[in-house]
Amino acid sequence: MECPNHIIKLMHDYLDDDITPDDERELREHLQQCSACAHHFNSLKRTIAFIQHASHITPSSNFTANVMARLPKEKKMVRLGR
Amino acid sequence: METFIKKRIKAIKKGDQNAYAEIVELYKDKVYRLCYRMLGNRHEAEDAAQEAFVRAYINIHTYNTNMKFSSWLYRIATNLSIDKIRKKKPSVYLDEEVSGTEGLTVYSQLPSTEASPEETLESLELQETVQKAIEKLPEKYRSVIVLKYIEDLSLQEISEILDIPIGTVKTRIHRGREALRKHLGHL
Repeated sequence: MECPNHIIKLMHDYLDDDITPDDERELREHLQQCSACAHHFNSLKRTIAFIQHASHITPSSNFTANVMARLPKEKKMVRLGR
Repeated sequence: METFIKKRIKAIKKGDQNAYAEIVELYKDKVYRLCYRMLGNRHEAEDAAQEAFVRAYINIHTYNTNMKFSSWLYRIATNLSIDKIRKKKPSVYLDEEVSGTEGLTVYSQLPSTEASPEETLESLELQETVQKAIEKLPEKYRSVIVLKYIEDLSLQEISEILDIPIGTVKTRIHRGREALRKHLGHL
């Protein structure tokens, strides 16, 4: 079944938390009767879950020390003089 | 929080480097994560994130306090990552066909499973799949997706960080989500 393009747009508005109550009702009703769009919507939500659950990675333990070592030297002179 | 930052920035402008170390400690995880998701390589991400902090320090006098400090920092890190991506060899984009196959894209070759997203992601291999899918996005979509879903920022903040209208942010997020869906939605 070919669905109106604006249904996809409504899905994205919904995912952006930027949808009017009327549009949300229209989307909800459409998804209840159209399995292709319901599938599309679910796969968008799954995709977001995958991206959001991407593992947390952290920088090296000497990250801050390395940044500080890379700062221009003249500023350190100023600090010594305070 | 913002008062804490403002005080530190004042001290930094006077030349107090220790105050800057506190700022780095506070934001290093987020800035590193942003760079990692943009670049897809730990070593490059570490270097890019450090460079972002060095640039922020050097340019602290140009920081406009009307903007959130974190937004300004993310802007530097995002631009730097995009520069680095552009310097690298252009990679295969999401929908590009794999040579020697007909109608097959890179991701249609990936194995499909029926586990929940959490279970599926326990596999390191799939973590890599997710990261690769992000990396295959053209950088203008990649940056909005990373800021929205990895850094969990609002559309308004993303618009401020990238200095583009909110309508453009939305369009890019929509296209980015659709591109990712084609390759991750079935996992």
